[in-house]
Amino acid sequence: MASLVLSPAEQDFIIRGVEKGFRSDGRSNLDRREVTLQTGMISQANGSARCRIGNLGVGTDVLVGVKAEVNTWAPGEPETMGSVICNVECSPSAAQEFEGRGADEINVELTQLLDRIISGGSQGDDGLDLSALCIIPKQAYWVLHVDALVLDVRGGIADALVMATRAALMETRLPRVVVETITDDAGTTQAEFDVVDDAEDMVALSGVSGLPLAVTFNQIGKRYTVDASEQEEAVTQAKITVAVSPRMDICAIQKGGMSRGFPPSLLSEILQTAQRIAKEEFAKFATLYEEAAKRSEQQSDGPSTGSTFLVPF
Amino acid sequence: MMDVDTEAQDARDIASRIVTPGTLVTSDSAYMRGHGTFMENATIYSSVAGAVERINKLVSVRPLKQRYSGEIGDIIVGRITEVAAKRWRVDVNSRQDGVLLLSSVNLPGGIQRRKSESDELQMRTFFAEGDLVFAEVQSYFADGALSLHTRSIQYGKLRNGTFVTVFPQLVPRSRNHFHSLPCGVDVVLGVNGYIWISKHVPASKIEQNSELIYSDKNEFISDDERETIARIANCIQLLNRLYVKITDTSIIFAYEASLGHAVKDLLTRDIAMDLAHAVKAHLAQQS
Repeated sequence: MASLVLSPAEQDFIIRGVEKGFRSDGRSNLDRREVTLQTGMISQANGSARCRIGNLGVGTDVLVGVKAEVNTWAPGEPETMGSVICNVECSPSAAQEFEGRGADEINVELTQLLDRIISGGSQGDDGLDLSALCIIPKQAYWVLHVDALVLDVRGGIADALVMATRAALMETRLPRVVVETITDDAGTTQAEFDVVDDAEDMVALSGVSGLPLAVTFNQIGKRYTVDASEQEEAVTQAKITVAVSPRMDICAIQKGGMSRGFPPSLLSEILQTAQRIAKEEFAKFATLYEEAAKRSEQQSDGPSTGSTFLVPF
Repeated sequence: MMDVDTEAQDARDIASRIVTPGTLVTSDSAYMRGHGTFMENATIYSSVAGAVERINKLVSVRPLKQRYSGEIGDIIVGRITEVAAKRWRVDVNSRQDGVLLLSSVNLPGGIQRRKSESDELQMRTFFAEGDLVFAEVQSYFADGALSLHTRSIQYGKLRNGTFVTVFPQLVPRSRNHFHSLPCGVDVVLGVNGYIWISKHVPASKIEQNSELIYSDKNEFISDDERETIARIANCIQLLNRLYVKITDTSIIFAYEASLGHAVKDLLTRDIAMDLAHAVKAHLAQQS
């Protein structure tokens, strides 16, 4: 992702730092940078969230919006489930290499990654309950469009992307749907649904508390780091993203983006570390989400004019 | 005719104002318009966001954020982007890449060694793409690109440390841009906003080994040195984000104020703001 070229001296400094467990900004190998989360800022969307991972107001910044619409069932589609359609786009203003068609490859990669992570456990107890999105079997269902926009890149995207998506889905509210069964004169029963147009009467998605969080590991030298900065990405040999559910199940694993492999023994160590880190991250995420929800309730209609660049967005 | 008092009052009113593009600066026709302004119907408006400055009858607006544009004699840090025929192209954080001519660098084996044909063919053994170079602006090319030189023992390839970028206008031009800080770390403050923080290497050691001026190998860096380098790097980052002038004094103040915190905590919002306020207060006290 980073087209940053570093001098051999800088690369050596970073690699030796990681091998000693002390990175260039003082973090240990498994420390994440500051995370800021904001929800509910897109009023026209059913749910929205923005997550930034980085220091002092500058970092990898992802905005996610969730829009719901009702689809008519067509033969061949699942009969008792709704669906989720993800789309990730990297804004050309996020990094120079995203100009023009430059972001096409990474857009596809991230879209497929997000898709797998969201649905990676949903048939079981991990993740969105898609059957709750069904309105009338074989007739109508909710489809959720999850659209993510990457606004800035300072190191890996996947972690911020999944965090923002999780927050957006937790914040999503669907209008209540009333289903009636109507029997006409011929005796045939037919189900009809009606979407209640009341802004106060909205329903949350079921199963969102089971959605996973992602942790990306970069192998640098003989060690690996969590939440790499752009400079660390430039010396990364291999990268792996692990999505873990709150029940500590692995929902998705993606190794990619780099051209070198790494030993399988490292993989099992990384999966265990991922579970450990994910546990802490879920707790931190819950706090961040609560604060974000509180802040969006208190928000006045006008923009705040304080020292905005350091205040969460 | 205005009397002196009103004129002085006017002058005070004009200067030390922060304006945004389109703000009326003055409608007094006595003033001439300088950079950052435009005139419409004999009224001077600001065309940038910045502070109004007045020198005698000249009114200009200095923008808060501006691309670095080099001046002769500037001491800068640059990154090599391209190796071309008998020259290197250097990213100097400006509108254009600078140029470092092969004839403007010291060749290993003594300052007075003459350039040979084989040197032209082995330019990458001196500087390759990605290398960081400490140089001085010698002159301009016809198209405005900066021409750099490293013809002095303290200039050349940078190693043993880490790189930080700051807003160029926070690095004031001064007599000395290479500082050996009391905590055992050397800082190179490039006027173009590129800063290099490294382990302290005594000057005598550099002079001894003229063969090694283009070496890519780092010296051994101990854990303490690494921590100090990271601490200084974080201090500079927070000074930058909170818009404090970056000089050896402000860095030392920030370093001392930061000693009570863990290095990685220096970049969290609350601690960073506290430290920046402490540094600003200390600097104000001193002046």
